[in-house]
Amino acid sequence: MIISVILIPFIAGILVPVIPFGKRWQKELFLEAAVILNSILVWYLLLHHSDSTFLLAHFTGDLNISFRVDGMSMVFAGLVSALWPFATLYAFEYMTKEEHENVFFLFYTLTYGVTLGIALAANLLTMYFFYELLTLVTVPLVMHTLTREAVLASRKYLYYSLGGAAFAFLGLIMVIVYGSTTDFILGGVLDPAKIAGKTNVLLLIYVMAFMGFGVKAAICPFNSWLPQAGVAPTPVTALLHAVAVVKSGAFAIIRLTYYSFGTDFLKGTWAQDVVMAIVMFTIVYGCSRAVKETHIKRRLAYSTISNLSYILFGAVIMTPLGLVGALTHLVFHAVMKISSFFCAGAVMHQTDRHYVHELDGLGYKLPCVFGIFTVSALALMGVPGLAGFISKWNLAQAAVASENPLAWGGVGCLLISALLTAIYMLTIVVRAFFPGKDFDYTTLAGAKDPNWKMLVPLFAFTLFIVLFGVYSQPIVEFFYGVAMGNI
Amino acid sequence: MDFICNFPFFSILLSLFSGTICSVLPAKAAKVVNRVVITVIGLLSAALLVYLLSVGEPFVYWMGHFPAPWGNEIRAGVLEAGMALFFCVIMYLSMAGGAHKLYDEVDESKHNLYYILVNLLLSSLLALVYTNDMFTAYVFVEINTISACGLIMIRQVGRTIEAAVRYMIMSLLGSGLLLFGICIMYDLTGHLLMSNIKESVGLLVANGAYQIPLIVSVALMCVGLCIKSALFPFHAWLPDAYGYSTVSSAAILSSLVSKGYIFLLIKIIYRVIGFDIFNNTRIIDVLFVFGLMGMIFGSLSAIRENDIRRMIAFSSVAQIGYIYMGFGMGTQTGMVASVYHILSHAATKSLLFIAAIGLTEVSGGSRRFSDLTGAGYRNKWAGVAFTAGALSMVGIPLFSGFISKLLFAQAAVQVEGKMLASLIVLGISTVLNAIYFMKTVLRIYATTEENTYSGMTFKSMKIYAVTLLFFILLNVILGVNSQPIVDMIEKGLAMFA
Amino acid sequence: MYCILLSVFFPILSGLFLLIRYRTPLSGKTEGSVRKTLVTLTGLFLIVTALLTLSALLTAKEGFTLFYLTETLTIYFKIDAVGALFSLLAVVVIVCAGFFSFEYMKHEEREGRYYGYYMMVFGVINALCFAGNLITFYLFFELLTLSSMPLVLHNGTKEAVMAGLKYLFYSLCGAYAALFGVYFLYKNSETLTFTAGGVLKASSIAEHGSFLLVVAFIMILGFGVKAGMFPMHAWLPTAHPVAPAPASAVLSAMIVKAGVLALIRVTNLFGADFLRGTWMQTAWICLTLVTIFMGSLLAFREPVLKKRLAYSTVSQLSYILFGLAVMNEDAFTGSLLHVLTHGFVKAVLFLCAGAFIYCTGKTRADELRGIGRRMPLTLWCFTIASLGLIGIPPTGGFVSKWYLALGSLKSGIPVLDVLGPVVLLVSALLTAGYLLPVTLHGFFPGADYAGENLQKQEPSKIMTIPMIIMTILSVIVGLFPNAVVLYMTVIGG
Repeated sequence: MIISVILIPFIAGILVPVIPFGKRWQKELFLEAAVILNSILVWYLLLHHSDSTFLLAHFTGDLNISFRVDGMSMVFAGLVSALWPFATLYAFEYMTKEEHENVFFLFYTLTYGVTLGIALAANLLTMYFFYELLTLVTVPLVMHTLTREAVLASRKYLYYSLGGAAFAFLGLIMVIVYGSTTDFILGGVLDPAKIAGKTNVLLLIYVMAFMGFGVKAAICPFNSWLPQAGVAPTPVTALLHAVAVVKSGAFAIIRLTYYSFGTDFLKGTWAQDVVMAIVMFTIVYGCSRAVKETHIKRRLAYSTISNLSYILFGAVIMTPLGLVGALTHLVFHAVMKISSFFCAGAVMHQTDRHYVHELDGLGYKLPCVFGIFTVSALALMGVPGLAGFISKWNLAQAAVASENPLAWGGVGCLLISALLTAIYMLTIVVRAFFPGKDFDYTTLAGAKDPNWKMLVPLFAFTLFIVLFGVYSQPIVEFFYGVAMGNI
Repeated sequence: MDFICNFPFFSILLSLFSGTICSVLPAKAAKVVNRVVITVIGLLSAALLVYLLSVGEPFVYWMGHFPAPWGNEIRAGVLEAGMALFFCVIMYLSMAGGAHKLYDEVDESKHNLYYILVNLLLSSLLALVYTNDMFTAYVFVEINTISACGLIMIRQVGRTIEAAVRYMIMSLLGSGLLLFGICIMYDLTGHLLMSNIKESVGLLVANGAYQIPLIVSVALMCVGLCIKSALFPFHAWLPDAYGYSTVSSAAILSSLVSKGYIFLLIKIIYRVIGFDIFNNTRIIDVLFVFGLMGMIFGSLSAIRENDIRRMIAFSSVAQIGYIYMGFGMGTQTGMVASVYHILSHAATKSLLFIAAIGLTEVSGGSRRFSDLTGAGYRNKWAGVAFTAGALSMVGIPLFSGFISKLLFAQAAVQVEGKMLASLIVLGISTVLNAIYFMKTVLRIYATTEENTYSGMTFKSMKIYAVTLLFFILLNVILGVNSQPIVDMIEKGLAMFA
Repeated sequence: MYCILLSVFFPILSGLFLLIRYRTPLSGKTEGSVRKTLVTLTGLFLIVTALLTLSALLTAKEGFTLFYLTETLTIYFKIDAVGALFSLLAVVVIVCAGFFSFEYMKHEEREGRYYGYYMMVFGVINALCFAGNLITFYLFFELLTLSSMPLVLHNGTKEAVMAGLKYLFYSLCGAYAALFGVYFLYKNSETLTFTAGGVLKASSIAEHGSFLLVVAFIMILGFGVKAGMFPMHAWLPTAHPVAPAPASAVLSAMIVKAGVLALIRVTNLFGADFLRGTWMQTAWICLTLVTIFMGSLLAFREPVLKKRLAYSTVSQLSYILFGLAVMNEDAFTGSLLHVLTHGFVKAVLFLCAGAFIYCTGKTRADELRGIGRRMPLTLWCFTIASLGLIGIPPTGGFVSKWYLALGSLKSGIPVLDVLGPVVLLVSALLTAGYLLPVTLHGFFPGADYAGENLQKQEPSKIMTIPMIIMTILSVIVGLFPNAVVLYMTVIGG
C-alpha cells in the first residue's frame, strides 16, 4: 500500500510518453485521474495508518529502505497530495503554450512520487535517497525550455543541490555511526554512550548537514539557485520551487533536528545559535532582495527564500512549540505561495508580461487573478484573519516562549520581513489597481481572466487561505500532536 | 590439494600463451581467441572464488612443487580470486565496448598486436594479483608497463606517442624505485617470498634494528607504486595517456592497470610489511595527505578541462585519491572502503570512457564540450550510460559510488584525528565531482536544435549498447547489493594476514 | 450585538458593493445619471451606518465573541466608554465629510472607488472603536491602513501614489512594531482583553520587567506612527495634502486618532502603574514634546495650506499623546477633550481648505488674500475653528489644554512637568502664528489689494452645512465642557 503511492506516479509518468493519446483531453484526463487517485490513496493511507514499518529492501549493513507513516509524514504527504491535483490541472492549461509536453508531464508526475518518498521515508537513509532522486527528477523540469538561461539555471540547481546533499551526507554518517538506529524517532537517536566527548564534532557536522539540507531550503549563502530556477514553467516554480522541493529541504532539516540528532542534544549549544543566526539573516535578506527584484517570478522566489527560513526559524527554536510553528508555516506558506505563483503564472500566460512595471492597470482586466493575488499578498504579510497571521503567530509565540534572547531577536526579524513583504507584494497590487491618472487602458486590450482550469485551483487556494486564517484550531492541534509525538 | 588450486596458475599461463599465439593469427581470429581467453579465465576465477569461499582458507601453490626459497609461489585467497574475476569482467566489457572504435583508430595490421598486448596485460595483472613473490611481482610489473605502453601507443598518432613516452618514463621511474625498495628489503631480510619477508620484518621491528633502512625500503616501494598508479602529485602522465589512447585502452588502463598496482601495494602492506607495522610508520599520513590533495586537485583540474576524455582522466586522479585516503586511515574499515572503491571506480570509470566515446562519435569525433551539446539525444544509449556513470561518481544512492562514499565516511568517523579532514574533503570533493560531471550531463541533453551530426540507432551499435547495459547493471549491482561484496572483501583481507 | 456587527459589516459590505458596482468607468468623468444614483446610494449608506452605530452605542452593553481564530485568539467586540467617545466623533466627522465630498468630488474621476473605500473606512473605524481585545484591534488597525490607502492615492498622480505607498509602509511598519509587542504581551499577560489596570502577570513583571518596558516602548513607537509621533511622522505631511480634501479631513480627524486609541489601549493593557515613573514614560513624553514643537514650527514655515494643516495635525496629535504619556487623570481628561476638539476643528479646517481649492483652485495660504470677501461663511468657519485650535477661551482647545497643563504640573515628573506646559504654550503661539494670518489676510486684504474678482463665490449648501455643523460642535465642546469632563472623569476613574 505505502509503496504503491510512490509507484503510481512513476508508472503514470512513464506511461505519458508511451501511450499514444489521440487527443489532448485524453492525456489530461489520464494524468489527472492518476494524480487524483494517488492523492486519494495517500489520504486514505494517512487516515488509516498503522505504526508498522514497510521494509522495501536491505541496503548495506543494517541500513535499509523502508517507509512508515508518522506525524511528520502525515503533514508533508498530506500537503503535497492535496496540492498536486490542483497544480496538475493548472499545468494543463499553462503548458498549452510550451513545447515538449510529454517530457514535462513525465517528470512532473515522477516528482510527485519522489516527494511522497521523502515524506514517507522511515529512516534517514531512505529520505536521503529520495532527496537525491528529487534533485535529479526535477532538473529536466528546470531545464525544460532548453534556453541558455534554463541550462545555466539547472546547472546551478544541480551543483547546489548535489553539493548540499554531499554535506547532508555527513550528517547521515554521523547518525549511522553514533546513533542507535537511523529510523526517525522524535527526540533523536544519538546514543549517549557513543557520543561522550565528541559533542563538538557532532555539532559541527550538524551545522554542516543543516547547511547541506538547507541548500534546498535556500538558506542564505546557498539561495541563488532558487530565483534562477524561476525560468522553469510556472507550474514547476509554483509547486516545486515554492512547495515540494524547497519544503523537502525544510522537512529534511526538521527530520534531522527533531528526529535524528534530537533537540535535547542540540538545544542551547553554539550550533543552535549559529543556525538560528543564519536563518534569521536569510529571513531579512530574502525579503530585501525581493523588494529589489522587478521580475515577478523572481520576486516571489526571493519571497520564498525568506519564508522558508520562517519555517526553519521555527525548527531551530527546538521546542515542540517551535515545531508547531514550523509545521504551521510549512503548510500555510505552501498554500499562500502557490496561490501567488499561480497568479503570476496566469498573468504571464494571459498577457505575456513578466516584470512588475508592466502590470499597470491589469487589476481591472484580470480582476479574479489580481483579487486572489491581493488575498495571498495580505496573507503573506500576516494580516489577521488570513492564514499567514496564524503561522506567524505560532512562530512568534514559540520564539517568545523559548526564553532564548536570540529567538526574541528572530521575532523582530519576522516583523521586519513582514514589512518588506508588504512592500514587495503591495507595490504589485497598487500598480495593478491604481495605475495612475493618465494611464491608457487601451494598451491592455485583449487581456482577460484565464479559463476555469487556472481559476479553479486559484479559488481553491484562496478558500484555504481564508479557511486556515479564521479556523485553524483543528489543524494546529494536529500539529501540536505531531510535535509532542502523540501522532 | 584440489585440482582447482591449479586454476590461478592456469589462468596466468593461459593468457601468457594466448598472447603469443595471437601474434601469428589474423586479426579476426585473434579477437576471438582474446575474448575466449578472457571468458575462460573469468570462469576459472569464478570457480576458484566459489571454492575458496566454501573452504574458507587461502592456499599457497608451489610452482613445479619446489618449496621456497627455490621455487616460486602463488597464493590465492578470496580477495585475489574475486579481483581476478572482476578484472576479467571489466576487461571483457571494455574490449567489447571499444571494439568498433578499434577499427577506426588502429591500423588493421596492428590488430593482432593489440590483442597480444591485451593478453599480456591480463597475464601480468593476474600475476600481480596472485603472486607471493616480490621478484615475480617486479617482473610482471615491468611486463605490465610495457604492454600498457603498447596499448597507448598503438593508435600511432602524435599525441599518443608522446603520451606513451611520458608514461614509459614515469612508469620506469616508478618500477625503478620499486626495485630499489625490493633490493633493500632483500638486503635486510634475505628473502623474496612475501611470507618469509614478513616474518623477518616482524623480528626486525621487534629488535629495533635497521629501522631506517626498513622505512626507506617501504617508502621506496610505496612511492614507486604511487607513481605508477598516478597518485597526486605523480599524475602528470595520466591525462594524456588516458585521454588520447584508443578507448578500450583508456578504459583498461584507468580501471585495471592502475588498480593492479594498487592491489600490489595492498598485498605489500598486508603480506610483506604487516598491516600494523605499516600503520605505525608515518608513511600512511603522507599517503593520507596526498590522497586528500588528489581528491581536490584532481577534481579541480577536471573542472577546468574542456575535453570530455581528459576530464574523465582527471577524475581518475581524484578517485585514486579516495583509495589512498582509505589506506591513509590505517584501519581495517578504511582498507575495506579502499578495496571496494577499486571495484566501484573500475566499474564506473570504464563505463564513462566507453560511454564518452559513444557521445563523441555522434559529435563529429570532437571531444570538446561545445560540440557535445545534445549528444545525449543523438546517441541515447551512450547518453543514459554516461548519466548513470556520472551519478555513480557523484554518489547517488543505488549506484556503486554511493556505497564507497558511505564506507569511506564510516571509516573516517572511526579515526579520531583524521575524521574531520576526511569528511570535509569528502564533501568538497563530492561537490566538485557534481560540478564537472553534471555539467557534462546537462550539456549532452541541452539543446532542442536540429542536430548537425547524424545520430546512432540501436541497430548500428548492438554490441556497444549491450556492453553499456552490462556496465550499468554492474554498477547498480555493486550499489544495491553491496553487503555480500563488502563481506567478501573483509574475508579476503582477513585471509591476507 | 447585532447592532455592533451591522455597524461594522454593513458599511464594509456596502463599500464592497460600491467598488464592484462602479468599477467599470475606466476613464473620463462619471455619467450624470449614474453619478446621481451613486451619490444617493452613498448618502443612504452613510446615514444608515450612522444610525446603526448610534443604536449600537445605545443598546449594546455586553461584549461578545464573534469567532475564535484559535482557542485563545478571539475576535471580540465590546463597547466601552472610550470606544463610544471615539465612535461618536467618527460618526459625526465621517458623515459630515462624506456629504461634503458629494459636491467636492464632482469633478474627480472614479468616484465609485472613492465612496467604496470611504464606506469601508467607516466600518473599520467603527470596528476599531468597538474592538474588545488587542487582537481584534490589531486586525482592524491593519485593515484601516489598507482601506484608507486608496483614499490617499485617489487622484492618481505619481505624487499621490508615492504618498499613498509611503503612508502604507509607514503604517505597516508601525503596525508590525506593535505586533512585536503583541507577541510578547500575549505571553506575559493573563489576557489581551482590554481591562482597566493592566493585564501583566505578576510573575512576568518580576522576571522580565525591564524587557517588558522595552516591549511597551516599541509598541508605543509602533502605534505612534499612525498618530504621527516623531520620529515616524513623515508620512503625515506627505499623505494628507495629496488626498481629496474630505478624505484629508477624515484622515486628520479620525484615522490618525486610531493611533491615539491604540495608545490608550496599550497603556491600559500594560497598566499605568507599571509604566509610570520609568524611563519609558520619560522617553515617551520627550518624544511627544519634540513632536509638538517641531510640528508647529514646520507648520509655521509651510506655505501650502493643506500641508500646513497636516503639520498642525502632527503637532496637535502629540498634545493628546502628551496627555496620555503623563498618565494621570487630569491629563487623560485633557487628552480625550483634545481628541474631540481636534477632531472637529481639524475636520473643519481641512474642509474649508477644500472649499477654497474647490471654488478658487488656490492652495497656498498667501494666495488667499481677500478670500473672506468671496467666501465669508467658509472663512468664518475657518476662523472659529482656528481659534479653537489655538486655545482661546471659550473654545474647546482652551479647556483641553488647561487640563493637559494641569495634569502635567500635577504629575511631579522632574523638569518635564514644567517643560510640558511651556512647550504647549509656545506651540499655541505658533499655532496662532500659522492659522490667524489666513483669517487676517482673508478679511483684511489691505488697502492696496485689488482682487480680480470680489463677488461672492460661496460653495453650495451641501458643502457649507457640514462645515457649519462641525464648527458648532467644536464650539459646544468648549462652551459646555462640564458634561464632557464629567464623562471623562467617569472613564478615567
